[in-house]
Amino acid sequence: MTRTEFMDRLKRGLNGLSPSTIADITADYEAHFNDAAAAGRSEAEVASALGDPDRLARELRAEAGMKNWETAKTPSSAAGAIAGIIGLGALDVFILLPLLGSVAGALVGFFAASIGVFIGGGVVFAVGPFLPLPGGWIVALLMGIGMMAGATAVGAFTAALTIWLVNGVVWYARLHYKVLKPALDAHA
Amino acid sequence: MAESIDIQLKKGVLGFCVLAVLARGENYAYEIAARLSDAIGMGEGTIYPLMRRMQSDGLVETYLVESSSGPSRKYYRLTPQGHEALRAQTEEWRGFSRAVDALLTPSAPLMASQPAPEA
Repeated sequence: MTRTEFMDRLKRGLNGLSPSTIADITADYEAHFNDAAAAGRSEAEVASALGDPDRLARELRAEAGMKNWETAKTPSSAAGAIAGIIGLGALDVFILLPLLGSVAGALVGFFAASIGVFIGGGVVFAVGPFLPLPGGWIVALLMGIGMMAGATAVGAFTAALTIWLVNGVVWYARLHYKVLKPALDAHA
Repeated sequence: MAESIDIQLKKGVLGFCVLAVLARGENYAYEIAARLSDAIGMGEGTIYPLMRRMQSDGLVETYLVESSSGPSRKYYRLTPQGHEALRAQTEEWRGFSRAVDALLTPSAPLMASQPAPEA
C-alpha cells in the first residue's frame, strides 16, 4: 500500500468526526510517514507496519466518541459513543444490542411519560381552580404542582439512569478494549 | 498458546511502556513507536490511538517544537499525573513479576507468609 492509499483510507474511515479532530489525527500519521522516510524506510514498509487503516480509523472514532461523551453528556454524544463502540466490535452486538435496545426503549418511555404528566399537571394547575372540583381551588392548585414535581423527579431519575447506563457501556468497552490486539496480531 | 499470553501481556503493558519511555525524556511519536516496536514488538500504528487516549486521560501532554526542516514537530511529555501513574504501575509490575518469577522457580517458596502444613 502506498502512503496516499493509506491516508485516503484512513480519512474515509474518520469521516463524520469533527474537522479539527480529523486534521489532528491525519497530521500524526503524515508526520509518521515523514519521519520514517527520513529514516530511510519505504512507504510500503511503513504502511504495513502501521496496520490496517480502516481498523485504525474505527479505533480512533471509538476513542473520539467516548471522549466526547465524557466531556459533554448529551443524547447525541451518547449515541456517538455507543455507535463508535459497536463499530469497534468491543460490544457483543448480538447479545447486548437487544438488551440495550429494550432498556433504551424503557428509558424513552419514562421520559415521554414524565413529559406527559408534567403537561397534565400544568393543565390541572391552570384550569383546575375554575372547575367545580371537590375540595375547591386550593386542592386543584396543589394537585397540579404535585403532578409537575413528580414528573420532574421521574425525568431527573431517568436522565441519571441513562447517564449511568452509557457510562457502564463505555466502561465495559474499555475493559474489553480490542484496540491494541489486532495490531499486535498483525505483528506477531 | 504461547502466542495468546504474549498478546495479552503486551496489551496490558503498552501504556505502561509508553510512560516509561517518556520518563527517560520527552519524545515525539515516531521515536516512541520505533522504540517500542523494537523493544517489545508492538504494531507501530497502535501508538497513535493509545497516545490520544493517554492525552485525554491527562497522563501526557503535547507541545510543538519548531523544526529547521519541514513543519514543526509534536512532542509528548509526562504530566505530574503521568509520573504518578508510572510510579504506581512500576511498583505493581515489580511485585507481579517477582510473584511470577517465584512460581517459575520450582524450589523457591511460594509465599513468605505461607504457613507450614501441619504434620
